[in-house]
Amino acid sequence: MKAAGKDIARTVRTSLGRFVAIAAIVALGTGFYAGLRATPDDMNTAADIYYDQSNLMDIRVVSTMGLTDADIDALAKVEGVARAEGAYEADVMTTIGSEQYAMRVHSLPGNGDDSLNRISLASGRWPSAPGECVISADRVMNKPVEEGEALHIDEGATNLEDVLARTDFTIVGFVHSPYYVTSASLGSTVLGSGELDQYMYILEEDFAADLPFTEAFVEVAGAKELRSGSEAYLDKVDEVARRIEAIAPEREQARLAEIKAEAQQTLDDERATYQKERADAEAKLADAEKQLNDSRAQLEDAEKELDSAQATITSSEAEIASGKSQLNSGKNQLSTQRAEAQEKFAEAESQLDAQQEKLEEGRAQAAAGREQLEQQRGALEQALAQKPQMQEQLSQVEGQLATPGLPEEMRAQLEATRDQLQEAIAQIDQSQAAFEAAEQQLLESERQLEAGAAQLEAGRQELANQKAQAEAQMEAAEKRLQSAEAQVRSGEQQLADGRSEYEDGKAQLADGQQKLAEGQAEYDAQKADAEAQFAEAEQKLADAQADIDALEPPEWLVMDRTKNVGVVSFESDAERIDNIAQLFPLIFFLVAALVALTTMTRMVEEDRTLIGTYKALGYSPAAISRKYLFYGAAASVVGSAIGIAILSFVLPWVVMEAYAIIYYVPLQGLSIIWPLALASGGVGIAITLAATWAALAATLREKPSALMLPRAPKAGKRILLERVRPIWRRLSFSWKVTFRNLLRYKKRFFMTVVGIGGCTALLLTGLGLHDAINDIIDKQFGPITGYSAIVDQDEDATEEAKQQEMEILAGPAVAAYTEAQSTSLLALGEDGTEVRTVLVVPQDSAAFGELWHLRTRTGQEPISLADSGCVLTEKAATLLGVQVGDSVTFAEQDQMGNASSTRVTVPLAAIAENYVGNYAFMTPAAYERAFGAAPSYRTAYVVLADPEADRTPFTEQLRDSGAVATVSYNDEVIDTYRSMLRSVDMVVVVLVVAAAALAFIVLYNLTNINITERVREIATLKVLGFTRHEVDSYIFREIVILSAIGAAVGLVMGVFLEGFVAVSAEVDAVMFGREIHLLSFAAAFVLTMVFTVLISLFMRRKLDGVNMVESLKSIE
Amino acid sequence: MAFVQFEDVSKVYRTGEVEVAAVRGMSLAIEQGEFVVVVGPSGAGKTTFLNILGGMDSPTTGRVLLDGKDISRASEKELTLYRRHDIGFVFQFYNLVPNLTAKENVELAAQICENPLDALEALALVGLEHRAQNFPAQLSGGEQQRVAIARALAKNPKLLLCDEPTGALDYETGKAILGLLQEMCAKTGKTVVMVTHNAAFCGIADRVIHVREGRADAVELNEHPLPASVLEW
Repeated sequence: MKAAGKDIARTVRTSLGRFVAIAAIVALGTGFYAGLRATPDDMNTAADIYYDQSNLMDIRVVSTMGLTDADIDALAKVEGVARAEGAYEADVMTTIGSEQYAMRVHSLPGNGDDSLNRISLASGRWPSAPGECVISADRVMNKPVEEGEALHIDEGATNLEDVLARTDFTIVGFVHSPYYVTSASLGSTVLGSGELDQYMYILEEDFAADLPFTEAFVEVAGAKELRSGSEAYLDKVDEVARRIEAIAPEREQARLAEIKAEAQQTLDDERATYQKERADAEAKLADAEKQLNDSRAQLEDAEKELDSAQATITSSEAEIASGKSQLNSGKNQLSTQRAEAQEKFAEAESQLDAQQEKLEEGRAQAAAGREQLEQQRGALEQALAQKPQMQEQLSQVEGQLATPGLPEEMRAQLEATRDQLQEAIAQIDQSQAAFEAAEQQLLESERQLEAGAAQLEAGRQELANQKAQAEAQMEAAEKRLQSAEAQVRSGEQQLADGRSEYEDGKAQLADGQQKLAEGQAEYDAQKADAEAQFAEAEQKLADAQADIDALEPPEWLVMDRTKNVGVVSFESDAERIDNIAQLFPLIFFLVAALVALTTMTRMVEEDRTLIGTYKALGYSPAAISRKYLFYGAAASVVGSAIGIAILSFVLPWVVMEAYAIIYYVPLQGLSIIWPLALASGGVGIAITLAATWAALAATLREKPSALMLPRAPKAGKRILLERVRPIWRRLSFSWKVTFRNLLRYKKRFFMTVVGIGGCTALLLTGLGLHDAINDIIDKQFGPITGYSAIVDQDEDATEEAKQQEMEILAGPAVAAYTEAQSTSLLALGEDGTEVRTVLVVPQDSAAFGELWHLRTRTGQEPISLADSGCVLTEKAATLLGVQVGDSVTFAEQDQMGNASSTRVTVPLAAIAENYVGNYAFMTPAAYERAFGAAPSYRTAYVVLADPEADRTPFTEQLRDSGAVATVSYNDEVIDTYRSMLRSVDMVVVVLVVAAAALAFIVLYNLTNINITERVREIATLKVLGFTRHEVDSYIFREIVILSAIGAAVGLVMGVFLEGFVAVSAEVDAVMFGREIHLLSFAAAFVLTMVFTVLISLFMRRKLDGVNMVESLKSIE
Repeated sequence: MAFVQFEDVSKVYRTGEVEVAAVRGMSLAIEQGEFVVVVGPSGAGKTTFLNILGGMDSPTTGRVLLDGKDISRASEKELTLYRRHDIGFVFQFYNLVPNLTAKENVELAAQICENPLDALEALALVGLEHRAQNFPAQLSGGEQQRVAIARALAKNPKLLLCDEPTGALDYETGKAILGLLQEMCAKTGKTVVMVTHNAAFCGIADRVIHVREGRADAVELNEHPLPASVLEW
């Protein structure tokens, strides 16, 4: 046996290539099998460890009316419960930055590290003060969220005030929660789009003070020791869950009683308050009425007063008028008197003046007379002065005359002179008399004048006296008039004042009356209102009483981990891997078998003579085969050991790394799963041994004599192509050889075709999966759903707000929109399948068709909604197993997401292509017929005018309208799928590497066999002077053609493999693209050929190494 | 200048620390058109001589000239072309490509040459035109060797190198092959160099080169070579 061992060792050394080939393919096969099959187990183990470390609850108890401390105590006392903790949660809509998220708020587990559902901090810090919160570190947010950012809670699923103590929070950290291991789906909610976007943890005290626990987390004693999700675990938990359910009715009744009592108390309080308020209100009303009446009376008084004032004013007016007329007549009289007096005085004066004038005239005459007199006096005095003389003269003359005898002439002359002198003396006497008369007269007139002047002076005096008297009289009259006028004026002023007072009073009165009317109206309205309120309040109280009386006991929902979205989806993803793991390694095993078969066949052939010799020496077939079986066993054992050892860690690692994008389950507890490893290794070894035996069997059957001879070279065979002479003749010898060789070695042909086919299939699967998920994005968003945002209206929006919303939607930011009703329902399959489906009832089917292109997938024929039934999306139809012509049953969802008993069955009119989500579509008429109610269109599907534009203003505008509950954008969904795509890319990489490994092993083996088998041929060709290139192409052409055939076959295999993997990997809410892109076909093919070329280049060295001397060697 | 000239040719193989001189200071000359038999015991350096002359190996020292062309310092590529155009090789085990018919095997060589004979003509030369469409497995050993000779001839080489061409054949067939080679030499005027350990073949050669311990020990020229048919061994 020692020799045999040495022989094997030596054989291994001399034929390392084929040993490695077998070992490698077995490693790949067993490793892939063990690794992939181990992956789900490793995933579940990692999850179990994580759940145990974080004390993930085993059971969650939710009551429809909350849980009390007593409930928690009761839970803790249930047999098998290690502990129970109460906790709070609530669903809310929040705003972080400008983005809105549907979030679930949890209370931070109280007991720190030892608490159930212990969350771990990824970054930042724990909330330490009210108003601080931590959110998920795993969810990708629409906009990056920083520590310290503010979070505002906009609305809650229920009244916020009842639930939370505050609505403004600061994000202080980011956490991982075992309660949410997946970031792909956090669960559903009644808010927003129906899917939770985020979760947050806050201090217990930030929840409303009197909020009962909303849920209780229970740890089952001994469950940690069992693996989460295992039968044993589920049984154990189930047992405790049953016990909890058993105490539930009692607790439910207790809670009911408590709530009833509490509610009754509250109601009674409310009733008392109401009664008091009513009394108050009524008292107030009475007061108001009294006040009104008072004011009315006051107003009436005032009115009367005003009326009397009016009378007074009227009489005063008359008085003043008469006063005024008197005054006027007085004034007139006075002025007449004054005029008369003036006239009189003026006349008197003018008389006086005339007298004066006369007097003056008289005076002037007197003065002139005096002057004349004076002059005459002068002349007289002269004359008088002359008279004595004359008398003397006369006396003389007389004397003379007397002297008689005088001549007569001298007497005549003395007589003439005596006459003249007598005359002159007469004259002088006369003049003297005249003068004395004139003087007398002048004196008389002067005396008269003096008397006239005195008389004038007296007249003047008199007139002045009279004037003064009249003046004084008039003055007095004037004064009297003035005082009368002043009286009239003041009377007028008083009247004006009185009148304005009156007007004011009147205005006041009108005002008061107006006020009174208003007050009355208000009073009436308030009274009516109050009465309505009373009625309402009473109704409410009655209703509340009725409600209390009708209160049903709360319902306890006892849920184990299978109700946790994260846990379940992680488990189901693990199961998906398991499904895939069933098929994938098959290829590797098949190729392993073929590789082993061809390799061992070749080996046996090489050892033909040796075997013959052994046989001739009398060794039994068993003894002879031992070496080969040992060889095969050694290769496969080494291969499986290495493969399993490496891939058992690498594959789970890669898969979990890929899943790490959507799951936070720390990678731990990776180990070789021995049953799997042994089974896988066993299969690998068995396959190799079987192949070895198959290779040996034929040879062992031959007679030793035949074996001792060199094996007759396999006869060249004519192939079909040769019958086509024109083509065949044109082929060069190497092509001919190639074609003949292709068909000569069937095992190799199959090995290569299957192996390379597998390689291509793996590549195509990887690329196809990439396509499939890319198509989700590319085909769904744009070709199918043309809208870019969904705007959900608030249920309680006012008409005005809705109007405003419609205006915004009709504005420039929106290219088009259409309204619809969108409801989340459960579609039920005959076998109990429940598919969460969104039922969309568009108001206007035609307009809706512009935004949501309903069409069949195959044929791409447009579907139009008809009143005859509903249109269902493809994935939902597949899940439900329904076809066009069948009918679909819809059930409404209750709070917990379970199907309620309301069911509606609708005929299925068409199945529409769709990739993301499950939808049903109905016309309003069809909906109304089916559901018995008209749809209410609260969802708008919106096409934005500029999808690239910053949408924040649009969102805020809509939210500001007050009508909009949520605005969600498609690109958020797209982002989710992009992250999914990244996880698939990891898988694609694994597949490409596996494919490359497969291609390498197969081609290496094929080339290796071809070269070793044809060493002589190759050496001969070299001796014949074939260039390196010619020799290469002589050998590799065959390999390239085989690869091409393999790749072509692989494309077909790949279509099925990809289909299988895609369907296995699909989640319910998503349909992967069903078509592999031409480019992927091309890429898979080209990549395979690139592998082939690379391997050929690598193997070329071996070909170069073929020594020409080999051609000279004898045939063994 | 002789047609083929070996001038003090040595070939040293090195395996690890050990150097083995397969040929040491071999000098010889062959004239054009001669039928040459190189004879010697195993390990005398026959194969190395053949390898070097056949362009399958290069000497460590010394010069090798064929038709005035020095091949001792030729590159790998030049050697390939040398083998391709100047050498026709007949192997002990025929080395026909099993998947090609007799004619195709001849064509295999012919199609890479500049001035080949027609495949059927070559087969006719060796008297096998009627087996042209047969696969090697359908031919007897002698027939296969004839196809091999036809293949070598079809290249229209300057030199026909034969490595124990009768080694795998029975006596009669071997004789027939020798006769064929002799005939071809005479008929086509090709220089034929046959390497053998069988000294009995010396009689049919124009020139016999005895190789011993890596040297051309002795060269004898037959004025009147015997026809192969009379040969006995």
